[in-house]
Amino acid sequence: MAKFEMVNNVDHSKIKINTKRSAELGDNLWFCLTFPEEFRAVQAHYPIFFQKEEETGQFAPVALFGFQHQENLFLSEQGWDAGYMPIAVARQPFTIGSQIQTVDGQEQSQRVLTLDMENPRVNTEIGQSLFLEFGGNSDYLDQMADMMEALHAGIESNKKFAACLAELDLLEPFTLDVQLNDGSKHQMVGFYTINEQKLAELDDEKTLGLAKSGYLQAIHFTMASQGNVSHLLKRKNSQMGL
Amino acid sequence: MSKSVRNIVIVGGGTAGWITAGVLAADHIVPNDENSVTITLIESSDIPIIGVGEGTWPSMRDTLRNMGIDEGEFLTECDASFKQGSKFVNWLREQQHSYYHPFSLPEKFFQLNLANHWVNISDKINFSNAVTYQGMLCDHDLAPKQITTPQYAFAANYGYHLDAGKFSHFLKQHCVDKLGVKHIVDTISDVKQHANGDIASVVTNGYGDVTGDLFIDCSGLHGLLLDKVYKVPFVSRRDVLGNDSALAVQVPYANQDDIIQSATVATAQKNGWIWDIGLQSRRGVGHVYCSDFCTDTQAEDTLRKYIAPSMGSKAAENANIRKLSINPGHRECFWQNNCVAVGMAAGFIEPLEASAIALVEQSAKFISTQLPENSDLMPIIAKRFNDKFLDRWQQIIDFLKLHYVLTQRTDSDYWQDHKNLDNVSDGLKEKLTLWQTRTPYTFDSTATEELFPSASYQYVYYGMEGQTRIKFNRKLHSEMQQAQAIFKENAGKTQKMLSALNTNRELLNKIKQYGLAKV
Repeated sequence: MAKFEMVNNVDHSKIKINTKRSAELGDNLWFCLTFPEEFRAVQAHYPIFFQKEEETGQFAPVALFGFQHQENLFLSEQGWDAGYMPIAVARQPFTIGSQIQTVDGQEQSQRVLTLDMENPRVNTEIGQSLFLEFGGNSDYLDQMADMMEALHAGIESNKKFAACLAELDLLEPFTLDVQLNDGSKHQMVGFYTINEQKLAELDDEKTLGLAKSGYLQAIHFTMASQGNVSHLLKRKNSQMGL
Repeated sequence: MSKSVRNIVIVGGGTAGWITAGVLAADHIVPNDENSVTITLIESSDIPIIGVGEGTWPSMRDTLRNMGIDEGEFLTECDASFKQGSKFVNWLREQQHSYYHPFSLPEKFFQLNLANHWVNISDKINFSNAVTYQGMLCDHDLAPKQITTPQYAFAANYGYHLDAGKFSHFLKQHCVDKLGVKHIVDTISDVKQHANGDIASVVTNGYGDVTGDLFIDCSGLHGLLLDKVYKVPFVSRRDVLGNDSALAVQVPYANQDDIIQSATVATAQKNGWIWDIGLQSRRGVGHVYCSDFCTDTQAEDTLRKYIAPSMGSKAAENANIRKLSINPGHRECFWQNNCVAVGMAAGFIEPLEASAIALVEQSAKFISTQLPENSDLMPIIAKRFNDKFLDRWQQIIDFLKLHYVLTQRTDSDYWQDHKNLDNVSDGLKEKLTLWQTRTPYTFDSTATEELFPSASYQYVYYGMEGQTRIKFNRKLHSEMQQAQAIFKENAGKTQKMLSALNTNRELLNKIKQYGLAKV
């Protein structure tokens, strides 16, 4: 069971975060959430697809790391083998909580950095300290706080981005069929990608709107990222010795 | 001289009028083309809509999708919910009996007739639960899909329960704003005819003569064209289906998050039956009965007793009940000259199995796909339409009658009367005879595009404990293993569905918040 605590320099003065990347520490993910602001970095390494969130049916972009549950082809003995790690992974084990604070007599909900104390990364011996000797934030903690802000904003912009894509019918279901060197076939369903024909048919006004909002760039990054499926496949073949 | 059919005038704007307008407009109106077909709908503002039809068939999904309607918007705007079939309570015996007629076909229906194999296990499991998971979904008030399921797609086949008034309004806006239907609110004072009897125009008070090449009579019980102009005789079917009266009432939910039922629940009463339909914000309940056997006061008393447990006896006493008269039957023909009737102007029968809106959809689809290019073709299309829809009326009447004839109820003359086979058509009698030694199946479908698949006959016949003594021939023996596997697969699917699906209420609330994706 997760146990969330608001990060503070009294309770957590001795806490360290193990930043090693391994399956035991929960990095055996086959995809993670991403968002347009990091598409430029993500598309250089991972395929970006869309999935529907189970509880809401809303589309959300994900970066793909493998072809099946618990398969992360970027994970090796040496850690995470790629030049960029998506923020939704890098921020572990931090989350954002909210706290009601009274400011000038007004109750306000404020975002606060929280930590899952049951997460295997949380310890007092190995890894990055959260606080300096006299209670100041470590650079690591500041970096995590920035990431959480970016992720929070990213989730908000995903909603607008996904609504825009749905509105313009720019997403289509997509079945990923992969064949390994030994001839074995794998099929993945439940993914959505950009409908390139619909994109090409958009009228000038709508295309301009997409360009000005920055979504056109995000769409192109998504399309370009699909070449990474073959890189994933190469990793899979080599891990299986094929 | 042959005249092209370009201007279509629809008279009447209830559910029938707007569905017909939407179906035709989506197929025929070309924006910004001066040669395009035009559709004008004239409705009088002072004629109230008769909101009886609150259940649809699965065909409504296609009808709405073809009109370009967003399913999420439709559900929210029309207070609509999912209908997965009908549940018949106490039709066989006076108490503790019920069965489902679900919209899903039995598993692998066209591959193998499971009914032949179910008869051997009929003492262990009822027919519908053996062949489909849908009845169990209904028992648990579950939705037929998930929030991640695209618009109009499903995990279990479904139609809708809807607020007919809101639905008409919703369609009107869509037809006028998106599909280019011209809308005139005015009263029709006269009809002008050509020498050959064709309607030339309808005369309105404010807009003068509205001319047209084809007139569609959706004026309901007013029968403005087919009845008043052409005097097409009415064929009463009261001898077969005697229910001629209905009392309708709206029942609010006690709590905002009360369950919404997945099926129309039809509970047999001493002299008729009561429908119970769950919408998002309220239930629609009504008592259909035959005035030969009970008075309006008795019927009202029965209805108030039915709603009392859910709304309290005080509120039930004070609930506002509306009386509707049903003249069961249809016109002798539906398309005469350049005029075709759709909806109640064509005919009406008790709302068991919700055939009213389904017939409107079928009529509109026929007119739209077969729209005559010119007036020379009109008589040929008219004849085909008349043949087809007379046959459909007979199918509906036979199928509804099937719900009654197998009853074992003895508590009233009403039910005794329904057992009398003298009033049953030869077609249905033949079926009942055949089904004693063979199960209903595709050979029972004698026409193309049948309204009711033979699966529907299976659900009702075996729901009413109809018996079939099958001789197990070589083919059936060879199928046995496969049939067992399908029964087992259905049991597995049932468990999976029960754990994966939200309730109707949960899903409808999500749809209100997030909508449904097109893909």
